[in-house]
Amino acid sequence: MMDVLQQLAYQLTYHREDPILLNSAFFFYYFVVFLFCYLAVSGSKQGRVWVFSLFSLYFFYKACGWYVGLVILSAVVDFILSNRIYREPRLSRKKLLLGISVVANLGMLFFFKYTNFFIGIVNDLHLGHLTPLQIFLPIGISFYTFENLSYTIDVYRGEIAPVKEFMDYVFFLSFFPKLMMGPIVRAADFIPQIAKPYKLTAEDVGKGMYLILTGLFKKMVISDFINQNFVQYIFDDPSKHVGLECLLGVYGYALIIYCDFSGYSDIALGIARWTGFKIPPNFDSPYQSTNITEFWRRWHISLSSWLRDYLYIPLGGNRKGKVRQYINLALTMLIGGFWHGASWNFIFWGGLHGAALALDKLRITFLKKRQYVFKGFSAGFWKVVGILITFHFVCFCWIFFKASTFADAWTLIHQIIYDFQPNVMGTLYEGYKPVFWVMGMAFVLHFLPRSSENWLAKRFEKMPVPASVVVMVVFLWFIIQVKSTQPMMPIYLQF
Amino acid sequence: MLHTIFSMSEKNRFAYPFYIVAGTLGCLLALSCVQNSFSLKNFTSRQVDLLADLRPKNTPGLLPGEDSAATVAGTTTQPTSPADSTQAVDTTATAAAPRYNFETYTGIQDYGKTSTTPGDISPGMAHFLQALHDLKAGKRRKVRIAYFGDSMIEGDLITEDLRDSLQNFFGGEGVGFVPVTSIVASFRTTITHTFSKDWTDYHYKNLPAGNLPLGISGHTFLPSAGSWVKYSPVHKPHLDKFEEVNLIYGPGDGHSTLTANEHTYPLSGNQTVNSLAIQPDTTGGLLMKFDNAGSQPLYGVSFESPEGVFVDNFSFRGISGIELGRLSRDMLMHLQEERPYDLIVLQYGANILWKPELTDYSWYQRPMTKVLDSLRADFPQTSFLVISTADKSYRKEDKYVTAPGVTALLRVQHTMAEAHEAAFWNLYANMGGNGSMTQWVESEHPLANKDYTHFNRQGAAKVGALLFKALLNKYHEDEKP
Repeated sequence: MMDVLQQLAYQLTYHREDPILLNSAFFFYYFVVFLFCYLAVSGSKQGRVWVFSLFSLYFFYKACGWYVGLVILSAVVDFILSNRIYREPRLSRKKLLLGISVVANLGMLFFFKYTNFFIGIVNDLHLGHLTPLQIFLPIGISFYTFENLSYTIDVYRGEIAPVKEFMDYVFFLSFFPKLMMGPIVRAADFIPQIAKPYKLTAEDVGKGMYLILTGLFKKMVISDFINQNFVQYIFDDPSKHVGLECLLGVYGYALIIYCDFSGYSDIALGIARWTGFKIPPNFDSPYQSTNITEFWRRWHISLSSWLRDYLYIPLGGNRKGKVRQYINLALTMLIGGFWHGASWNFIFWGGLHGAALALDKLRITFLKKRQYVFKGFSAGFWKVVGILITFHFVCFCWIFFKASTFADAWTLIHQIIYDFQPNVMGTLYEGYKPVFWVMGMAFVLHFLPRSSENWLAKRFEKMPVPASVVVMVVFLWFIIQVKSTQPMMPIYLQF
Repeated sequence: MLHTIFSMSEKNRFAYPFYIVAGTLGCLLALSCVQNSFSLKNFTSRQVDLLADLRPKNTPGLLPGEDSAATVAGTTTQPTSPADSTQAVDTTATAAAPRYNFETYTGIQDYGKTSTTPGDISPGMAHFLQALHDLKAGKRRKVRIAYFGDSMIEGDLITEDLRDSLQNFFGGEGVGFVPVTSIVASFRTTITHTFSKDWTDYHYKNLPAGNLPLGISGHTFLPSAGSWVKYSPVHKPHLDKFEEVNLIYGPGDGHSTLTANEHTYPLSGNQTVNSLAIQPDTTGGLLMKFDNAGSQPLYGVSFESPEGVFVDNFSFRGISGIELGRLSRDMLMHLQEERPYDLIVLQYGANILWKPELTDYSWYQRPMTKVLDSLRADFPQTSFLVISTADKSYRKEDKYVTAPGVTALLRVQHTMAEAHEAAFWNLYANMGGNGSMTQWVESEHPLANKDYTHFNRQGAAKVGALLFKALLNKYHEDEKP
């Protein structure tokens, strides 16, 4: 009995090596208890706000320990500042207060995320010899600092009135479904939903379930499976793999990053939907894009729209001439790249995308001027060509995003160009058969029309509760089976 | 509260998520309490157990009745008396070294014997250690090591660190033998090596026709009309200049020539192994062109200094060691005349452990024993060191654990080393024994790759340092009367 209690105590407290995730078994228990409590207070707005906030803060604690204090601290600071900005009549004082908010949020983000990166630069340039700090990046900090910023900037711009109840702001900031991996939610979208009564239609229930199940499927069946059984071997040491393996590894990674990230976002959206909140989608089948501009409208939408509204447009956007527009685009993407992580790889990745967006702007302007319109067969042909080019460019950039160093990235590219060895396809297929089938299935699913998604969501909508339970049980049983399959060991091909 | 749930209006389904999730949890908990695993043809389903996190944990990874090996690298265990060994003791010879528990001992266990028959040399460490002492005392100029392995030592991993330490201690400059072409040339950091694309590469998996022999690296290269190869030194200690450069080549028609740094050299040797000294150019690089070489078989180039220790890296991806049986006796014996080896190191394992749960390695032991027999016959005066498999993990349920095959293979490798009177070094115990690969991969500063098999550069450097330390201990042990 003591053993069980000890294990229980272990499970309930924070452990750095074992943080809570939306796809963990612990989360399942947590979610049931949460829903029970949430339901018990569902009639009262105050009750909902307190229950949700407390559960969210606990979730935060399970994810990153006492760094949960940072969320509360930043909620206090931004709540006070936003109200002061709103009431302040003088523009100069408004600006000063906004400046404090920007410095406080970015300062916190920089301290935790980028200090060691800059220490590394100082050391590399022999400007000094500094010891890197023992900093552990608080989970979700990149997301909630951006949420704070968009909120205070919106208040400053007069687009929204600040929140009156402090707990409402804590609720918005800590909302656990989006806490670890976004999406970046705008206060303007979210806060009005808090006061609304907790009502769910059949559509909400069906859509929520659809999002949760497909999210889990993308994350655990597609992404984790391909990564563990194939792609991680390739990126770990590209020099040990021939060009064909490296290329397939890059295609695999394109699926992994999409399925992992969008799957997690979908689970967050589904849980939010079940608790009465609608959050706009974060991904929209991005690999269907026919050009890079479209890709960024369909990939990590909450980040790209945030960068557009709070970085690109304040920089001048397209209002200060063509040259400035290209510079602004490149700069926005460079900073966007840096947001993903403190390394030159991310900056380079952002730079590549920025340059491509600028070039694409040129192409669009050129086509507009000449009034080119493709019709019939040529329209279809160019669409396919566009999709292929865009996908391959995005894949090329992923190499730098994923590789741990520049050297690794170049090694992988070197292998694809100089050591392709297409003749190993048969052996490769034999060795990784299930992986390639899952990859094939994932690409097919990605290119299915939206109507098929709606069809499945509609089926869930019409299901009675017991049928939903059966679907969930079977689905979770399936996930457990996939998760525990014996991993395929890498095959090293020489010839 | 239940009252409110059941009396809610028809349209508001706000309690549905709770019903669905609670119902699902209830079903899965009920399932967890019973045996729910089933088998269908080749598929056995995994037990669904939602309570697993609350149950007391068992230590995974070991087979019943199997002891875990040393858990801390660097710990040594007390020697056990010879009588503890299950191996029959040869009565014609006396054991040269104390015996340790090979499963945990991190030093070099030498099974070499001091023979009573004069002139008969045991394949243990004695010859090699004597050669090192002679080198140190100025009684001999060179000591050479042939280090055979698979992808674990590709790109000069492990050997570069071992070579560097040995050359620091015993002297010597140069990277040793380098083949004509190599799939990992661009990732080798101990020499800059480029070559034309038109070489024909015969090797273990693409055997040459007729009586064309394979070279010691497992490769034999034939040039085309425009073939070239270029080597340049790198800016690292012991590797920053070429001193003695020798082309090692096979039997030809006697009329071929090569151009190296604008000088023409005849390839007149007609033995199975021939050596040709080549002058490096003033910039230190070496460009060799084979326009008039017909189909002259070539093995590689060696880079040494007049005195010191030299370590030749013979990596071949994807092999188990059995392939060494393809090396002809004739080639090896001629090679031994041209460039004698004092120690042969054999490090294999990764490609034998392709099925993690396989524990019967008799299929490997039989052919590998034959290979060791013939190598021993081909190198009658040379020391042999068998290095065990490294730890290798595989995912069992949710965690990476040591594959049960590792210790099983290790025992087979040890048995073979002992039976051949060779020396044995337990790499697995040196890594830390059971579960060490998982630690090496998952540590904050990883020492191995995510395939839970291969070391990265840092891990290889650590292994190289451990091996050097073990060799040096043996060397110092030998100094004592």
